[in-house]
Parts: sequence; structure tokens; C-alpha cells
Amino acid sequence: MVTGKGRVRPHWQGFFSSGEAEAGAMEESWDAARRLLFQNGVTYHAYADPQGVERPWPLDPVPLLLPATEWQAISSGLRQRARLLDRVFCDLYGTQNLIRDGVLPPGLVMGDPGFLRPCHGLEVQPAARLTLFAADLVRDSGGIWRVLASRTQNPTGTGYALENRVVLSQTLAESFRNCNVERLSPFFEQLRQTLASLAPRSSGPDGSPRMVLLTPGPFNEAYFEHAYLARHLGLLLVEGADLMVRDQCVYLKTLGGLERIDVILRRVDDDFCDPLELRPDSALGVPGLLQAVRSGNVTVCNAVGAGVTDSVALLPWMGKLSEYLLGEAPLLADVPTLWGGDLQQRAAMFSRLDQLVFRPAFSNLGHTPIHPASLDAAARADLIHRIRRRPQDWVAQEAVAPSTAPVWRDGRMEARPLVLRAFACATPDGDWMVMPGGLARISADDRYPTVSLQQGAGAKDVWVVGSGLATQPRRSRVTAPDGAGDTGPHGGDLPSRAADHLFWVGRYAERADNVVRILRAAARRLSDDAHPGADEELVPLLRLMGWVGMIPPVIAASPAADAVRAMRQSLEIIADPGNPGGLRAHMDRLRRSVLCVRDRLPADVSRLLVVLDQRASTPLRSDPAAVQLRLDEIAPLLAALVGLELDGMSRGPAWRFLVLGRRLERAIGIVGALQGSGVAAGTVDIGAALSVLLELGAANAAYRERHPIGIRREAVLSLLLADLEHPRSLAFQIQTVERQLAKLPEVEGDGSNVSPTHLALSLLSTATQLVRDPQPARDAGALFDLTERLGRILPEISNLLSQAYFSHVFARTT
Amino acid sequence: MRYRCRHVTRYSYGEMVTSSHLLAHLAPRPHPRQTGRVTDMTILPWPASLVDRLDWFGNPTTYASIQTPHRELTVTVEMEMQVLPPPPLNPAQSACWEQVALQALERAETVEFVQASQRVPPPDAAITAFATAFFPSGRPAAAGAMALMRHIFSEFSFDPTATTVSTPIAEVLTKQRGVCQDFAHLMIAALRAVGLPARYVSGYLRTLPPPGQERLRGADASHAWVQVWCGEGTGWIDLDPTNGRQADTDHVTLAWGRDYDDVSPLRGVILGGGSHGVLVAVDVEPL
Repeated sequence: MVTGKGRVRPHWQGFFSSGEAEAGAMEESWDAARRLLFQNGVTYHAYADPQGVERPWPLDPVPLLLPATEWQAISSGLRQRARLLDRVFCDLYGTQNLIRDGVLPPGLVMGDPGFLRPCHGLEVQPAARLTLFAADLVRDSGGIWRVLASRTQNPTGTGYALENRVVLSQTLAESFRNCNVERLSPFFEQLRQTLASLAPRSSGPDGSPRMVLLTPGPFNEAYFEHAYLARHLGLLLVEGADLMVRDQCVYLKTLGGLERIDVILRRVDDDFCDPLELRPDSALGVPGLLQAVRSGNVTVCNAVGAGVTDSVALLPWMGKLSEYLLGEAPLLADVPTLWGGDLQQRAAMFSRLDQLVFRPAFSNLGHTPIHPASLDAAARADLIHRIRRRPQDWVAQEAVAPSTAPVWRDGRMEARPLVLRAFACATPDGDWMVMPGGLARISADDRYPTVSLQQGAGAKDVWVVGSGLATQPRRSRVTAPDGAGDTGPHGGDLPSRAADHLFWVGRYAERADNVVRILRAAARRLSDDAHPGADEELVPLLRLMGWVGMIPPVIAASPAADAVRAMRQSLEIIADPGNPGGLRAHMDRLRRSVLCVRDRLPADVSRLLVVLDQRASTPLRSDPAAVQLRLDEIAPLLAALVGLELDGMSRGPAWRFLVLGRRLERAIGIVGALQGSGVAAGTVDIGAALSVLLELGAANAAYRERHPIGIRREAVLSLLLADLEHPRSLAFQIQTVERQLAKLPEVEGDGSNVSPTHLALSLLSTATQLVRDPQPARDAGALFDLTERLGRILPEISNLLSQAYFSHVFARTT
Repeated sequence: MRYRCRHVTRYSYGEMVTSSHLLAHLAPRPHPRQTGRVTDMTILPWPASLVDRLDWFGNPTTYASIQTPHRELTVTVEMEMQVLPPPPLNPAQSACWEQVALQALERAETVEFVQASQRVPPPDAAITAFATAFFPSGRPAAAGAMALMRHIFSEFSFDPTATTVSTPIAEVLTKQRGVCQDFAHLMIAALRAVGLPARYVSGYLRTLPPPGQERLRGADASHAWVQVWCGEGTGWIDLDPTNGRQADTDHVTLAWGRDYDDVSPLRGVILGGGSHGVLVAVDVEPL
């Protein structure tokens, strides 16, 4: 950033000229950036974390600025490297001249678990081999950028880079303009075009290819990126279980049947892609996928098997490879690397052990670097022993003293080493286009560059500045603002798995809402002395809380005289974040279910849930006033969720399943309230219980409108059970479920069985008749029967829906 | 020797299977001592796709997909082949094992069989100690390998109840029990532990022995044995640790690879199915 003479380097001048880089302003933009990331739900998972929790994305507010001239060199070097590794891939999975002509030692390829024998001889279109190529680069103290490793099998990071850009271009808007930063959008537009060009046919409804992004699922460390990238590129986000191979073609299982897929951008590791031909224990892949590729019916990018070009053990041979395959000298330098499988290199490795950084030679063995110098004697001896036993599995790299970049830490700038991940995308004409920017990771360690996100201390946006080219925003599709133009996936092809999750998002959201209603009713009665009859009303609430599993049965059964004490104890239990029936647990279930389908919900749902989760997980004092305050914050957020369902989603199948889940859960909740409070069995003070039920059903106002004088059993019950004008009545829920179910495609029964859709509809018509009957409102026995019958019918409808729409059977190896 | 082989595999499932994908290594592998062909392959229900190819190791392999719902799946393969006896072997004349181990690293066809593989993980201390006992300094590679084979044959018990397909090699070594697949994997692990290239061979034994001879262990089912590379002069030799002898005209070869996973006679992935059972019948009769 600063020259030897203490002057600001020229390419940083635009950045500082805006005033945004002043300490105070920087602190503000830091806060703003964190807030934006937090609200956008940008996260990554750390596998090492036993909870597997999502961590917020650690974006540094200071971008890495690179002058256009410096970038130009990186960019041409990267294009050459992509071209070279593409040729290496072709050779190793084809004729293997590299081995025959002695360019590469045979053990380097044959000993690499990433060389996948079933992929040998697969014919892959040129741009489908390394469609997306990434390399980790470090700048040494001499200012030379060196390749630390390539990422070809799973080049993570483009989505994070894009999100970083979206956030920083907002928070540092003025600097961003002053610096003439090169845009990222053309890169993603190219990626989309390349993917489309690779389709063996066009199976989409509008004559375009149908393309998907295959993710290992929401528990993968980079799931956020998968969802984000899918949205940005207009691809459908799918998991292995959503796809199946028939007639050597790949199909997506949707509610409407099977739909042919033409292109798969995969983020599943090589050996997990197909349990038939690769790892048999993989549940993430698609059985038969390799055969579908082999027969040319689908394109998978990057090509399965690309992991062999990830091998760090190739680095010592880059010069030879480049000469042999391209007839060119390499443009990019590598971090000096020694491979343990080579006798001479091994000797060098052991002679300078403490000056080197060791890492697994092959990508399937992991990426974690080890510094012998930093180990204690026992650990060091163990490492030496492991290397001696299988030297071919190890490389040692020179501990390059990396140059540093300014980082915002605790209110001031600090210099830290960093690693730059740069990306290139294949173009249909056989070249690569480099993303002008990338993802810079700040090293957690002062001395060595670490590459993993899991170990890294933060991420930076990368600005290529001041080229004077391509900086005039052209108003075409290609130069739309970065991050804009998020095209959602097509509505029609909802995978069964997604339908299942959406249904449960509806159910959990409603369940959380129900729990919050019960708690609010309880807390208010404890903290509000002015509420008449409050103590008697605690009894039905306690019974109900026991019924729905929020508190243990002993406490729920407390007598009226002890109700206040019992309720105080109950609030303590529910406020306990470790309690699986507590408030926190309900929010957690809701958040997890949303995680699996957040790409199908309005973006604000994720933001709402981040806030909800924060509200629910901050420690809570169990005194009634504190609980009530907290609930007053949570309830409107849950209501906002309903608002988004109503107003923020088009009425497609995704919405329909969400609504089915919510309405069915609410119906089950109403029946549960009648049973749990003791009203159905007549075991409590009916007057007190009915006034609680009116409150839980948000029906106080509606009731008073119709019946200004006092609580009457029949009037209250007919409002709660049968009133179609009241959106929280049982009849209203059943009617909604019936209407929405009728709009779904009917699923046929297998063989002699009746269609589950048909069965569910007939159960619903029984339920409709039951709630229309005026008798239960008048007669205690009839009410009891009604709740018993509906208590069985409603959960059965949920089961039938699962059977009809969500029964995505998982593949197993035999 | 000329043989006719018939291999029947029948899967039965507790629940309906909506689709199955199969990968079969059920054809005679051509090599200098063996020729042959599949005379009939029948899969029921009828497969929607059936594709033959040669895999990386040069073994014939068949992909099949069954797309009609089924509770039972039968694969029947009939084949005919001719097997020639191996050339006479003089173990003492093979190169010493240290030299063979060095040569092996330089050659693409041998180096991949020195590496660990899915079912044969890198050797632990116990395997290494077990293996080095058979390879004192300077011993000819073939002599060491034969001693190792005979040791497994005489000290280990053939016991189909002791192990399953997923029993790790380390456990086979401590229990000293197992079936042909376990013994083959153990022997491969030991050979690789000293740096000798070793392959897993999948095949059959003739069902009825020639008159006057004992019936071999592992007839009536798929069999497995080991190939070890003993240097450029001697090349690959076939050793059967389950029967303690060199594989000869009683052995019919289907496929070879790094371990069982590369060459399993029938590998399948099903959708649905619940619990399942499998019955295998093999019959190898001389013509």
C-alpha cells in the first residue's frame, strides 16, 4: 500500500481520495458490511466445529487493490495454466504419453487416489473439462506472484467473491467509483454462456438447455455459495437424490414427473459423483451418472476426475509439462515444491525439514499444511515417521515469505499475509476468461500463508483498478451491476425433496408461532396483576403446555392453588436454551428447515430468520416480564414470515406446499389446544379455558363483535371450529388444505393401492363434515368425539402427502 | 483345459425396487493363458440399457439398468473358456525382492499395484511385521511370495462365518480366519508392504476335481487369488493362498484389479427395496 518512501502507492490513491478510508469512516463501513452480510445470511460451515454451526462470513472492509498492469501478468499466467492443466487432464485420461515419454513419473499419477480409473477414456468436450479453474496464489517478498495450488475438482469461491463485491461496492461506493474497478459480471455471464454451449441437447421448455447445480447439500461448508451461484446463473439447485438416471440420461424428479437434464455444474467431489462406479458409500451422487456422461447424454462440469490436476505433486514438473505439451515456458512461477515420491526431491525434503511446509500430495488426502518447525519434539518425530513410511503421499513447499496487505483490525489498519484465489472460466472457443478480481484470504498465521477458509482469518474483495478499459459502465446485459439480475429458477420443476422441505418449513413456522402464542398468554397472566381471573386461566395453559411437550407432565398437572409457582417454573424450563421443547429449539428447527430450501423462498425469509435466530438464542432471563418482552420481539417477526408467504411468493407448487404445511399444522394445533387444555374432556374450568382458547386463536375481537356479553360455550366453540370467516378457525384451515391439495398433480397409487392424493382428499371431506356439524359446540360428548377423530385424521393427511409427493427413495449399494 | 461356466445371482427384496443399476465383471478376461467368451447373459427383469466395454485394467465389464419395478432380480451368465497351464516356475531364479521393488516403481504397469487402494489401506505395523518375516534380505521375490502364500494356507482357517465382505485386513490377520477374499487381500497387503506389486484376481475354480484329487476350497462360488510381479524376467505369477498353490488350469480368470472393489463380479445400486437377500450359484464343468 505504501512505497518505501512512505508515499501511498499510485493505485491506492483513488481509494484514499474519497474519505471513506479515514479511520472513522472505515469503522462505519465495517459495521455496515457486517450488517449486510449478516442479513444476507452469508455463511460458511466449519466441519471442525462439533456443532457444525454456520459462521458469519468474515469479510474485511478493505479490498485488495491490484493495478491493472500487475493483474495483466497474473491473468495471462492463469490462462496459460488452465490451458496446460486441461492438456494434462486429456493426456492422463487418454493416451498417457506423459508417462510413456517419461515426462511424469508413473507413481505420481498411479499413486494419486484422485486418478479415477472409471473416468479413463471418457470423451469430454473441451470446455467441459476445466470449465471453472481456480488457483491459489501468493506474492513473495520480491513481488512475484506464485502458484501455491490449483483447484479444479471443486473450485469454490466465485460466489463468495461476488457477494463480497456486492457488499463492498455498497459500503465503499465512492472509493469503488473513484478506483475504476473492473466489473465481475461479464465473467459470470461468460460462465453461463459456456455452460449452455456444452449442452448435448436442449431439453428446457423454452428450447434452452436445462441446467442444474449439484450440491452436496445444506451441510456442506460452501452451501451458501452453491445456492447463491445457482440463483445468479439461473440454474436449479439440486442434490443427488433429486436426480436419477434412466436410459443413460439424467432426469430431475419433480412433482410433475421426470425432466431431462442437459448440463450439471457440480460441487460434489469427484469420487462421490456416482456410487455405482466410484465410491459405493456415497449418498451425494447419482447412480449411473458416469454411464450417462460416457454415452454423451449429459455434460458434467468440471469433468469428473479433474482432481488429478489438483495434485500439488505436479508443481515440480510444471516447467517440463509446459515445454512438452505447449512448447512454452510457464508464465506463472510456482511456490518451489518437492515431491516425496522422487528420490532426489525426497532427500532435499529431509535435509531442510524445518524450512519447509508439508502438505498432502494428492487432493483426495486433504489440504492442511503442517510446519515441522512449529511442532513439539514428539509431533515432529511422528510427522517424520509418517512421511518416511509413505513419502509419495507428501509434498514439501518452500515457506515463501509472503508480502502483506492492509487489513482492518480493531479499529486500525494492520499488515497481514494473504493468499489470492483467482478464477478462470473456459470459453467455447478453447480459451479461458479470467475473473478480474477474486477472493483474497487473509492468513491467520503471520509467517505462512494458509489457504483454507476453515483456518483463514478473513476474506477480502479484490479490486483490479485503473485500467481505463471496460470501466465505462455499458448499459447492456453483460455489464449489469454486479450481483443484480438474480434470475430465480423455473417455478415448474420443483424437486420432490424441495417440496418436502417447504412443507416442513410451513409446519415448523406454524409450530413456532403456536408456542410463542402459548408463552405470551402465560407470561402476560403472570406479569399483569390487573388481568381478572388470571390465576384460574393458568391451569388450562399449564395443561396445554404439557400436552404439546413444552414442560414435563408433573408440572403440567399442578393444581390450581399451585399454578402461579408451576408457571414460573415452566417459563424457566422453556427459556433454557438446552431444552429440546424450549423456545430456542423451535426456532432452531425452523431455521434448519429453511436452510434446505432457502433458494426457493423470498430472500427476506433468510434475513428474517437470521434476526429471529439471534433473538431466540440470546440468553433469556426467566422472569415473566423479560420473557414477555422477548416474545413481543419474536411474535411480529413470525407474523412477518406469514406476510412474506402471502405477499412475497407467486402461487406455484413451492408456495402451495408451504401453505399446506402451515395450515395443516395450525389445524393440528387447534385440535391439540382443545384436547390439551382440557376443554374437550371437560376437566377444567370451562370459562377460564375458553377465554384462553379465544386468545390463542386471536379471536377475542371477533368474538366480542358478535357476542358482546360474556363467554358462552357454544358461541366460542362454533367460532373456533366452524366459522369460515375467521382465518384461525378449524374449518378455515381444512378448507384451505382441501383447495390447495386439489391444485396439485394427482399421484397415482402403485399397483392395487388407491392414490394417496385421492385418500387425502376423501379424509379432508370427512373432516369438513365433522367441523360443519353444530353438535360438538353444544354437546361435550360430541366435542370429545370430534377432537379424537380429527386428532387421528389430520396427522394421517400429513402422512399421505409425504407418501404421495416426498417419497424420494435413496439409492443404496448392494 | 476347456470349461463351461454358469453363474447365477438372484437378489430378492423386501419391498418393491423401482430401478437398479448394475456393473458386472462376469466374462472371461482374455490373457495369454486364457481365451473365452460369454455364450449367454440373461437379466430378469429385462434391462432397459445394456452396455459392454473394457475397463481401465482391460477386463470386460457390462453396465445394465433395470427400470421396471421388481422384487426379484436374476442375472444368469454362461461362458466358455480355455485355460493353458502356466510356464514352469523356478522361484529361486527370480530377482531378489529389493530389486523387484525398485524396478516396480519405474513402470506404469506395476507401480499402481504397489499403492494402497480402497480395500487394502496403507500397511500398519502389524502387517509390516507379518510381511517382513517372509522377505529376509536378498531373497528371490517369488520364493518369498510362495512362502507367504503357504503360511496363510497352513496357519489360517477357512471359515465362512468368521468374516463379512467388510471385515478389515487387520482383523483377518489377528483372527487368522476368513475366506478366499480375505486371504487374497491380506496377501496383497503384505506384498505391497514390502514394495512388491500385487493384484487381486476374481475368478472361479472347477467345481469337481479331477478323479482322485481333493475338492478345492472355494469351488461353487466366486473365487479370488493373487498375482504378484516378480521382476522383468519372471513377470506376474498367480498364487492362490486359499489352496496354497500356484493357480493353474483349475483356475478361470474373470478380472483383475487393485482389490475386490475394482473387479467385484456384480455391483449394484438400487432405489427402494428395503431389506434384501442374495443367492449365488456357480458351476464350472470341464468340456
